[in-house]
Amino acid sequence: MSIVDVIDRAKSEGRAVLTEIESKQILEEAGIPTASARLARTADEAVEAAAEFGYPVVLKIVSPDVTHKSDVGGVKLGLDSAEAVAAAFQEITKAVKRQQPDARIEGVAVQKMVRPGIEVIVGMSKDPQFGPVLMFGLGGVLVEVLKDVAFRIVPLEPRDVRQMIREIKGFPVLEGFRGQEPADLEALEKLLLKVSAFVEAHPEIEELDLNPVFAYKDGALAVDARIVVG
Amino acid sequence: MARATETRSDLPSRARQQRLDRAFNPRTVAVVGDKRAIGYLWLRSMSTFQGKVYSVQIDPDEIPGIEALGVPNYPSLLDIPDEVDYVVCAVPRQVSPRILADCIEKGVAAVTLFTSGFAETEREDGIRLQEQIGEMARSASGGGLLLIGPNCMGIYNRRLGLRNSWEQPAGDAGNVGFISQSGTHCINFSLVGDRQGIRCSKAVSFGNAVVLDAADYLEYMADDAETEVIGLYLEGVKDARRFFSVLRQATRRKPVVVWKGGVTEAGARAIYSHTAALATAPAVWDAAMRQAGAMQTESLDETIDAVKALVYCTPGTGYRMGLVAMTGGQSVVITDAFEREGLEAPLLTAASYEKLSGFFNIIGGSYRNPLDAGGTIGWGFLPQNLQKLLDVLDEDENVDAIAIEVSAGFLARRMRENPGILDALLDTLSAHRERSQKPFIAITHPGHLEDVTAMVRSRLLERNIPPFASFEAGAKALRRAIDHWRFREGLD
Repeated sequence: MSIVDVIDRAKSEGRAVLTEIESKQILEEAGIPTASARLARTADEAVEAAAEFGYPVVLKIVSPDVTHKSDVGGVKLGLDSAEAVAAAFQEITKAVKRQQPDARIEGVAVQKMVRPGIEVIVGMSKDPQFGPVLMFGLGGVLVEVLKDVAFRIVPLEPRDVRQMIREIKGFPVLEGFRGQEPADLEALEKLLLKVSAFVEAHPEIEELDLNPVFAYKDGALAVDARIVVG
Repeated sequence: MARATETRSDLPSRARQQRLDRAFNPRTVAVVGDKRAIGYLWLRSMSTFQGKVYSVQIDPDEIPGIEALGVPNYPSLLDIPDEVDYVVCAVPRQVSPRILADCIEKGVAAVTLFTSGFAETEREDGIRLQEQIGEMARSASGGGLLLIGPNCMGIYNRRLGLRNSWEQPAGDAGNVGFISQSGTHCINFSLVGDRQGIRCSKAVSFGNAVVLDAADYLEYMADDAETEVIGLYLEGVKDARRFFSVLRQATRRKPVVVWKGGVTEAGARAIYSHTAALATAPAVWDAAMRQAGAMQTESLDETIDAVKALVYCTPGTGYRMGLVAMTGGQSVVITDAFEREGLEAPLLTAASYEKLSGFFNIIGGSYRNPLDAGGTIGWGFLPQNLQKLLDVLDEDENVDAIAIEVSAGFLARRMRENPGILDALLDTLSAHRERSQKPFIAITHPGHLEDVTAMVRSRLLERNIPPFASFEAGAKALRRAIDHWRFREGLD
């Protein structure tokens, strides 16, 4: 399905929030590197998808009503066998039903367990005056406390993304702090430019959250994604 | 919250700009409703105007006073036997729609509504009246009437002597344009700036911005051949995306300094009752300004300082300073002040140290950078040594820009012995400025000798050397200017 189709379907179902799978699907189509996920409605489908991706995998609940998946027991990491995947499927659906009985459950997203990187966040929200504004920051709890983020008005130019990445106080972390591997800044810059072009081309997108994005020494990958349409 | 009325003239941008050009360079001006109670503010301000001035007033008590100023008075704009380019309207607010109708019929290019009592009152009647005049101006035949304001002081054209305060300088115009939502800041910029060596080309105060907004004036100034540097005082913009894109274009042609008022929560409240503008989240505003390549300031002084650096300095794109102070204590704090703004004081090259060691007096001085040079240059009065020292910094490849303390205290003492010594100092500094390709600024602390400082400041300006009132002020201004020059060169 194309970007427009995905958005139209959500709208026709009266949903403003796209599921993780839908969000990732359209991000991929926009050329934004994303840890792809596939919907499994049954434990068998989950095992099948896991075999295709290769182990280990991650399972996450897919529900338009669940915002914080891990808070309701909706996430299982590092599953390395068919048995583990099948069991995790049951555990997740059961846990969510128990914690949030009204939640509509579409199934479970199966995703390859990606290698860890430096966590960053990329977001877009609409300012009442300036319109779409892109946000960049380091991921994790500290960032929420310190509000160490940089903003730019869409559309961004290459200079804007170079500056916004370097503007955050935590930038040294991306440069390879204390022997850590430095992040591939060019890949982050490209990702931000693509997100800018993507939201500019689709004004119906009201909000976008890529949280986290893993920054590697060679590349960057959106690991979780959430898109709200208007 | 959106009680400010719809903005923007419907005129296409080209036509609007041509009409604005006629308003900024009028041949004939009419003032409607000037009166004794405000000291004939408008007609007295227009006394220097190079074109023709008419008055419109129907109050028989006011007419003799107006005619005593030598200004012909008519009962209506329509009675003026001349084409009128620009009108200032100072009538009570309820009369303003009638005057606007006359402006439209007369075919004037623009009218400034000095009158207040509109949306900024936050009252229904004022808001409705603002909507009414905005609608009248926009829907006027012939593509609409350019309405400046209401609640503002309108246009200042220094070359033509078209003023909005009788204290403002007329003639001898400069190259700095100023666009201000506030009349006070507009006039103060022209007055205080003039004392600081900044001469306006044109300025405008535009208040509630019901038809024309900051972006329209910015578009005009960016195009104006007489304007080379642009300053703005803003409280809010109504079409932020348009302002952003106009600003982005403008900064590619000319430096633009933006002073935003009402950035605190309480300040934002004050904005609304001043010009009825809506506040913007500071983080988003800052990002937009940086992205558009504008320099941001936080006060009139900072704005004047940034403009001063841009007007007077040879452009340069490096952040490494050569710092020259007169004493040990000043060497320390000048370094702190510049470092705090991200302007470093690096070590000089070995060749420079070699040269300096030949003449530098290290008893009570030092020359690593900062240069504690008081003794070496006789606190300004050993011009040969001063020149050698400046030459060393000019030739040093580790130094991108130079700042020197010109101490009023030392000057005052030495000038008692030798009054001519100031000229020798100025000659040396000026010769350096002419030769050097690096930005060069002076710092003259007011200290306890304000009269000497003022004298030294104007003497420096005569030689095109920009003086700043403190190390901090000089550092901030230079940093902003360098950021702009880097932006123009495509450097991050």
